[in-house]
Amino acid sequence: MQDLSRREFLKNMGVIGGSGIVFSSLPLLHSFAQKKAEEAKGGKARLAIIGTGSRGLYHIHNLLKMPHAEIVALCDIYPPHLEDAARLCPQAKHYNDYNEAIADRHVDGILIATPLHEHAPIAIAGLQAGKHVFCEKSMARTIEQCRQMYEVYKESGKVLYIGIQRLFDPKYLKAIELIESGAIGKIVGLRNFWYRNNDWRRPVPDPSLERQINWRLYKDYSGGLMTELASHQLQMGTWVNKSLPDYITGFGDIVFWKDGREVYDSVSVIYHYPNGLRMTFESIISNKRYGMDEQVLGHEGTLEVARGLLYRENPKPAPGIQQLINQIEHKVFDNIPFAGPSWVPETATSVKGEPIMDNLQTHDGSNTTGADVDDGSFGLVSAFCSSVITGEPAPMLVEEAYYASVLALLGNKAMEERAVIGFPEEYVLPG
Amino acid sequence: MKDIIITVKKQRAELMIYGVCLLAAFVLNVASIIIYNTEWKELYTQLLWVFCLSVGIYFLTIVFRVLYWLIRRLFQWRN
Repeated sequence: MQDLSRREFLKNMGVIGGSGIVFSSLPLLHSFAQKKAEEAKGGKARLAIIGTGSRGLYHIHNLLKMPHAEIVALCDIYPPHLEDAARLCPQAKHYNDYNEAIADRHVDGILIATPLHEHAPIAIAGLQAGKHVFCEKSMARTIEQCRQMYEVYKESGKVLYIGIQRLFDPKYLKAIELIESGAIGKIVGLRNFWYRNNDWRRPVPDPSLERQINWRLYKDYSGGLMTELASHQLQMGTWVNKSLPDYITGFGDIVFWKDGREVYDSVSVIYHYPNGLRMTFESIISNKRYGMDEQVLGHEGTLEVARGLLYRENPKPAPGIQQLINQIEHKVFDNIPFAGPSWVPETATSVKGEPIMDNLQTHDGSNTTGADVDDGSFGLVSAFCSSVITGEPAPMLVEEAYYASVLALLGNKAMEERAVIGFPEEYVLPG
Repeated sequence: MKDIIITVKKQRAELMIYGVCLLAAFVLNVASIIIYNTEWKELYTQLLWVFCLSVGIYFLTIVFRVLYWLIRRLFQWRN
């Protein structure tokens, strides 16, 4: 059982400064990225993109806009994806074998956007070959692989970035700042959810390619909703609570999409922390009414982080004159109750949340294709390129990603065993 | 159809009535700031509400004045 105090955890994560506590790795990373961008000016990170599917192409589009990045190699085993990427980067060399791409002497760093089960072998091969590595989230398919990847990263002295882009999303930075300043009081709950209404399938030109293309649906390749969606949101527990959960439990089932997939299409997981706080993650992919969000519940307010909104428990009262008019209006027009209600449904108030910052970039969730919203991905990959040039790893990024990935995988384990499990001691990183 | 002539005297009287309504709305704003313990800056931030309220009060005076005029006409007709 892991019971780290806030201070111990921060110490382990390296975020206690001499003059006091730095909030979390977030602001630290932000300033690190800015500093490194200055130092990297004039240099170029020569990258190999391994995995040129939809996520790989997204990164390629971003990289082509960065003056300090150069794509020198492309690698994929699926020819149509490789051809799509080659059209965008005509100068880059093409590979079918990631080992050859890694061995290319013109390559300084590799960016991995492959199916999850390939993250660890490619990242480890890259680090061991002396290359800097950017790997999409989740870190790896198994907890053991996450740990192994972390060990190799520490031994290699090379740069490793994991694609947890919320670390570079200004909304999240602001939210953490608000939480730390006490704007919502004592934190009493964390709710993460991600609802969609689609089968999560990609078109398959030939049945033999089903597992290669729809890898997210099969357990050998993916941890399903936990590794693909939850791993983004489970960081909230680490950021907000600054400790690791002691108990994890949950249920997962295939409720609606009974189409031969192996991963759950409906999950509910609870992470219990030693201080009594609980963080939940729920995902259903056959109803999208509530979309996705991370909600931090405090005794004085609630933050909806993905939407960048703050709701106060006791909102600022309306101006006096409006209160007066309302009161007169109620006295004149309201019915006189003949008896008070013994119970009223306590549905949520219709109070509108206060935006936590100017120029909020959010998305209404109706369409996730072509959404021009900066979710931090650009900043994260840009910071990686700066790190490739300077050779300096980002502080705590890998640790944050490691715990987010391990928590996602432990959620799967709890659901598969239908049990309450503890956080395994052996997977706590050394302080 | 005939032209309706509003005399200068009548116009002055209406302006005076509206001025009193505006003053009453302003006083109500001050009173509500005190009663509901809100911020004094509402003296200028809520001027639009004060203006709306003054118009509302002015129309209320019209209703009462029309009623007064109708009742007076009724008594005059009976006598």
